[in-house]
Amino acid sequence: MGAAPQASPDQRVAEFRKTFSRAEQEVGRVIVGHQDVIRKLLTALFSGGHILIEGVPGLGKTLMCKAAADTLGLSFKRIQFTPDLMPSDIIGTQVLTESDGHREFQFKPGPIFAHVVLGDEINRATPKTQSAVLEAMEEHQVTVFGLTYRLDPPYIVLATQNPIELEGTYPLPEAQMDRFLFKVVMGSPKPEELREILARTTGTRAHQIEAIFKPATAAHEIEALKGLVREVMVAEPLERYIIAVIGACTPGGPGAIPEVSQYLRFGPSPRGAQAIILSAKVNALLAGRVSVSYEDIDDAVVPCLRHRLLRNFQAEAENVSTESILEQVHKRLKRPRA
Amino acid sequence: MPNPVEILGRARNRIARVAAIRAGAYALAPAIVAVILALGLTPIGQATWMRWGYILAPERAAMLREILLAIAAGALAAGGIFAIRAHRRALDFVAAAQRVDDAMRAHEEILTFAALADPDLAESQKTARSPLFPLLWRHAIGLLERFDPIKTFPLAIGRPLARSSMIAGALAAVMIIAAMGLVRPPTREQAIANRLREIAREIEATSNDPTDRAIAGEARAAADALENRSLPPLQKEKKLKQAMRDIKQQKKQSESGNKKGAGAGAGSQATKGNGKGQSQGSDKGTGTGPGGKDKSSQPGSGSGKSQQGKNSGSNNQQGKQGKQSKDSSAELQKELAKAQAQVETDAKNSPKPDAKKPGDDTKPGNAPKSGGNPDKSGTTPNPDSARPGSVPTASANVHKNVPPTGGAQAGAKDFGSNQGDTHLGETPAAANYQRYLKPGEKGAALDIHDARYVMFRLPNAAVIGAGGKTVIDSNRPTASTAYVNAPLKETTDQSAPDERQLVPPRYRDLIH
Repeated sequence: MGAAPQASPDQRVAEFRKTFSRAEQEVGRVIVGHQDVIRKLLTALFSGGHILIEGVPGLGKTLMCKAAADTLGLSFKRIQFTPDLMPSDIIGTQVLTESDGHREFQFKPGPIFAHVVLGDEINRATPKTQSAVLEAMEEHQVTVFGLTYRLDPPYIVLATQNPIELEGTYPLPEAQMDRFLFKVVMGSPKPEELREILARTTGTRAHQIEAIFKPATAAHEIEALKGLVREVMVAEPLERYIIAVIGACTPGGPGAIPEVSQYLRFGPSPRGAQAIILSAKVNALLAGRVSVSYEDIDDAVVPCLRHRLLRNFQAEAENVSTESILEQVHKRLKRPRA
Repeated sequence: MPNPVEILGRARNRIARVAAIRAGAYALAPAIVAVILALGLTPIGQATWMRWGYILAPERAAMLREILLAIAAGALAAGGIFAIRAHRRALDFVAAAQRVDDAMRAHEEILTFAALADPDLAESQKTARSPLFPLLWRHAIGLLERFDPIKTFPLAIGRPLARSSMIAGALAAVMIIAAMGLVRPPTREQAIANRLREIAREIEATSNDPTDRAIAGEARAAADALENRSLPPLQKEKKLKQAMRDIKQQKKQSESGNKKGAGAGAGSQATKGNGKGQSQGSDKGTGTGPGGKDKSSQPGSGSGKSQQGKNSGSNNQQGKQGKQSKDSSAELQKELAKAQAQVETDAKNSPKPDAKKPGDDTKPGNAPKSGGNPDKSGTTPNPDSARPGSVPTASANVHKNVPPTGGAQAGAKDFGSNQGDTHLGETPAAANYQRYLKPGEKGAALDIHDARYVMFRLPNAAVIGAGGKTVIDSNRPTASTAYVNAPLKETTDQSAPDERQLVPPRYRDLIH
C-alpha cells in the first residue's frame, strides 16, 4: 500500500482518501463515537501538526491516541505529566556508561523520541517541564548538553488536559498553546454510545486494530501523504479570506468586530493562519478536491483558533467563550470578492 | 475538448456586457422621463390654460425644457460613464471565475483554476503550479462542460429599471411640482394672445384654404407680438393694426373670389355662404357656392353647376367648416380689437419717460375704439356688416349660453361668449367696503350707487336669563388654589463663591 511517487494525481488523491478513511474506521473500532475528534486527530497527523485534546477523565483520550498510532504503524510513547516530572524525564539524559574499560556519557533518549507522543494531563507538569517539549514540537529536534538529536518524522504530540481539578495545575503558556494545530474538546458519550462502550469493554470480546502500514514503511508512506496535503492549491481570494478571519479575531486589527475588541486581549498569531490552511487542505482532499474551498476553511477555523485567542478578565467574568466569539466572527465576516 | 480558459473568457465578456447594460439602465428611465416631460411641456401648458385658466409662460416653459433636456443629457452621460466603468471592472478574469464558481456551486475549484490559469498571469507563476494542477484542470473542464454564460448570466435589467424608475418618478414629481409652481394666472395680454393662438389653431384645423392659413399665421404673429415684452406698446399696437388690416384685406380678397366663383350657383342666400365655402368656390371656380346654402337650410338639395349634385354631402361638410371658419374669423377680429384696446390702455398707463411730451394724451389711439365690439357700430367697418345681408350670425359659442364675464375676472377665460362684453376688460372692480355700526349708532349715509348688493349683518340677540335676576354660574371654571403673585425674597449672599449653594426658592424662607 502507499502511493508511489510516479503515481498520477488522481491515484495519489484516491490513496489519501482511502488511507484516511481506513484509519478512521480502525480507530472507530476502538473508540465509540467522537468521530469528529478522530478526524481532527488524523487531520493533525497528516498536516504535520500537534493536537491538544481536552476532556474529563475516562473518555478514552489515551486509548484514542494509542489506537491512531497503532493503526498507522507508528511508534507510540506515553508520558504522564506530573508536578515532579523533570525535562530530562521527557527528553532523555546523558548516562555514564563503561565499555571496554572506557567510561563515557551516552545519550539515553527519553519518551519524546517516538512518532506519536502522548502527553497525558500536560497541564499538571511545571512550566519548566512543559517547555521541554517546545523545541521538539516546533523544530522536531531536541538539544541535550549541546548536542541536537533529530526526531524521526512523522512526529506528532498528542496532549490531553483535564478541564476540572485545576488546583495544582499549570495552565499551558501561550507560546506552547500556539504550537498545537488543533484544540479539540471531547464531550460525554451519548447513551447509545455509552451502551456500546460498556459492551465492548466489559465483555470478552476485544477489538484488534489492524495496522494500515507496516512499521518499516509507515513513516515513508505517511510523509508522502503529508506531501500531497501540501500540494493542494489555495486561490488568492481564499488566502485573503483567511487573513480577514485572523484580522477580525485580533483586537484592534483590521476588521475586528466589537466582541473581539471587548473580550480578547490577544488574537491569533500567523501560526493560526497556517493551521487553518493546512487543515483546510486536508478537508479538501477528503472531499476529493485538490483546491481549498470556503467550507473547508470555515470547518477549520474554530479548532484552529479557539486556543489561540486570549480572553481578558471581562470575558472570563462574563463566561464568554472563545468559541462564541469565533462564531460571531464567522457570522459577520463576508467572503471577499475576487 | 473544451478549453476552460476560453469558456471563462467568454463568461467574463458576458458578465462585463451585462454589468455595463445594467449600469447604464439605471440612467435610462430618468433620461426618458426627462425627455418626455420636456416634450410635454407645451401640452401641459395648454392643458392648464384650457382647464384652469392658468398659463405656463413661454420663457418659463423654455427654461424648464432646457433644464429637463440638460437632466436627460446628464443622465445619459452618467449612464454611459457608469456603463464603461462597470464594463472595465467586470473584465477581471478571476472575478468572473468566482461568479461562475458561485453559479455552478463548484466549491471554489473554478476560482482556484482561474487564479492559477489567468491569461494575464506571469509565466513564472504558471510554471510554479502545483503538481495537482492537471487534476484541477480536468475538474474545471468537467464543471464547465455544462456551463452556458448566456443562461447563467441573463440580461436581467428589471431591477435596475425598477430602481431607476423610482428616481425617474421622483424627478417627474419634482418637475411637475416646479411646473405647477411656475404657472400663473395670465395677464390680460397673455390671455388675449392665447385666445388668438386658439383661434388660429381652430382656423387651421377647419380649413385648408391658403387664405385662412395666412389669417391664422397673422393671428399667431399678433399673439407673439402681444406677448413680446421687449416690444413697446406703440409697436405692438402698430403690429396689431397691421394684422387687422391684413386679415381684412385677405377676407375681402376671399370674398371677392367667392363672389366670382359662386356665379350662377348663388341664390338668394348666397351672401350667407361662409368663408370656407366661398373660398373653395373661388378656387375651384364653380359649384361650391350652394354648399353654404345647403348648410343653412337645405342640406344636400342644391348643387353647383359642375358638381351636378354628386358632392352634395361634401358640400354640406364644407359648409359646416366654412361656418366655423367664419365664426373663428369674427372672433379673431374681436380678439384683435381687444388686444389693441389692451395695448392702448397699457400704453396710457405705462410710465412715460417724458410726461410733458406734447401730443401723448391727444393721440387718437388712446381712446377706446369701438371697432372690435360687435355690439356697437364703430368707425372701423365690420367686414361682415359691410356686406349686404350680413346679419350677425349665431356664433359657435351661442349654444354655450355663457354669460359675459366682467373685468374682475380678467385673469380667467372670458372667451366663452362674444356677447355683451362691452367693457373691454375695464369693468371697475368691486370695493370690499365694510362698515360696522353699533346698535343705535348712526353713521354717514352709505353711497351704494355702484354696489351690486349690500349685506347687512345684525348683531346676535342678547341673552336674558332668570327673569331679570342675577344668576351666579356655579359651573364656571374656577382656580383650585388662590393665585398669588408673590415675589421671591431678595437675598444677598455674602459668602465666597465656592460656598454659595443654590437653594430652591421654596426653602429660602426656612433657611434665612
